[in-house]
Amino acid sequence: MTRAELPEYEAVDRPGAPALESATVRWARPVKRRLRVSDLWHDIPVVRVLAARDFKVKYKQSILGPLWLVFQPLALLAGFLIAFRGIADVQSASVPYVVFALVGLAAWSFFQASMTIGTASMVSNIMLVRFTPCPRLAFPIAALIASLPAFAVTILAAFVAAGVTENLSPRAVLLPFGLIWLFLLTAGLVGITASFTVRFRDTLSAMPFLLQVGLFLAPVGYPLSDLGSSARALVDLNPLTGLIEAWRWMMLSDYHPSFEPIGISLALTAALAVVGWLVFSRIETTMADEI
Amino acid sequence: MERSSSRNGPDRAPIAISAQGLRKRYRLGELHSLRQTIGRLTRRDHMVESRSFEALAGVNLDVYRGDALGIVGSNGSGKSTMLQILAGTTLPTGGLMEIHGRVIPLLAVATGFHGELTGRENVRLFAASLRVPLEATEARMDALTAFAELENHMDTPIKRYSSGMLARLSFAIAMQFPGDIYVFDEVLAVVDGEFEARCLAEIRRLYSEGRTVVFVSHKLDQVAEVCNRVLWLEHGKVRQAGPSNDVLAAYAQEQADHLMQ
Repeated sequence: MTRAELPEYEAVDRPGAPALESATVRWARPVKRRLRVSDLWHDIPVVRVLAARDFKVKYKQSILGPLWLVFQPLALLAGFLIAFRGIADVQSASVPYVVFALVGLAAWSFFQASMTIGTASMVSNIMLVRFTPCPRLAFPIAALIASLPAFAVTILAAFVAAGVTENLSPRAVLLPFGLIWLFLLTAGLVGITASFTVRFRDTLSAMPFLLQVGLFLAPVGYPLSDLGSSARALVDLNPLTGLIEAWRWMMLSDYHPSFEPIGISLALTAALAVVGWLVFSRIETTMADEI
Repeated sequence: MERSSSRNGPDRAPIAISAQGLRKRYRLGELHSLRQTIGRLTRRDHMVESRSFEALAGVNLDVYRGDALGIVGSNGSGKSTMLQILAGTTLPTGGLMEIHGRVIPLLAVATGFHGELTGRENVRLFAASLRVPLEATEARMDALTAFAELENHMDTPIKRYSSGMLARLSFAIAMQFPGDIYVFDEVLAVVDGEFEARCLAEIRRLYSEGRTVVFVSHKLDQVAEVCNRVLWLEHGKVRQAGPSNDVLAAYAQEQADHLMQ
């Protein structure tokens, strides 16, 4: 294309344009992906506003407010005590059952909250997606950050319970790595489900049901040793299984994890993080047109 | 292809926006439905297969810094699509648009908000998503609040705002932040006379400061009042572009002819 094809459009004779506020040049052109990994930290200010919002909204116009953070894992723990301990009489090896279950619940509470908010994150921000250039990546990331308080309450309870019963292992200093692991795993999955939801709302209907099934296909409330071999094979494939095993090994002094699911989980986490990024960044360019 | 930035001689204002062969194709109809899915699976999909619509069909355009560009054209001529690409909410399907500096878009009044956030939080969110530094945001907060006349409402969730309050907040946000290119899509239609006049005055202020303004309106008198250049789009193509008087006169003439028939 040559200059001659451009319509007659003379330059303005108005000198004295102010200096640019932002010296960036943007090229809008057909590309499959425009996201960069560096956008993850460039978008931190947006994520901060969105995450604070996500968290506040959850407990706005509610009587118990943030007390739900404490109540929810407690209720689950009570349910576990009745179902697994009272009825099925599971044995949590050498660790008291409450301590054992709380570690699993900590990971689970983060996973569940993130998946629920994160999957809907694009759709619940539909106006911002359609009419503003608000970075799309910030929505699912904010959902993960907003789920941290739910996790913090449960993991704190797990620490206290492990400490009081003298089961706390010095390996607990490794837990930040466990958290990064959980974060990557969840982010990968949310990246996929949130992108999917832009085109197909089916995920919104499926997610509560999938999460319910997932809770019983992960050793949150029972030890792996209680499973038969076929059930064990299935549960081992759940990426949360190995993660929860590793977390229990980090936190509990006398816990012997099985290493197979840990390996499976690490591999799946890496794969899901990469696939989640690729899927999300691919869909991201057309979200405003398709949502 | 000659790089657009090299077109700027010493006597020319620098390029703000340059579009070359810009195209945007949309698929028509529902994107996905059970009927389509079944149709595709059973290979009886001839009826529903992708109909599409070319909103922009090869637009070439240069906008220089300090221009106030009006875009006119009938519905479906591609005005909004141009602005969406300029704002960065969507990408073209062909060609290129080169954009220099920070774009502050107002694509729809009272919609680019989150209802659960307060006015102040929405302002911060908008600013953060345009990567306006936090200090600049807080520094403009008071002026913005005063312009929107929302001094007592900035800490109220905007789901409780009236439509007038939302519109005023929209305009305040779109005009009070430091930007290089200000984009308005058919937005003055929803506000009342007094506030409309203030918004027009504010847009003229941006122009007189030497900032670039892109302004879409069906009201030709508004375009004439605000813009020094006008782009006339028709079926996704440039019909005419140039000084606003010339283009607006030609456009008004054609509209009058069209009415006569």
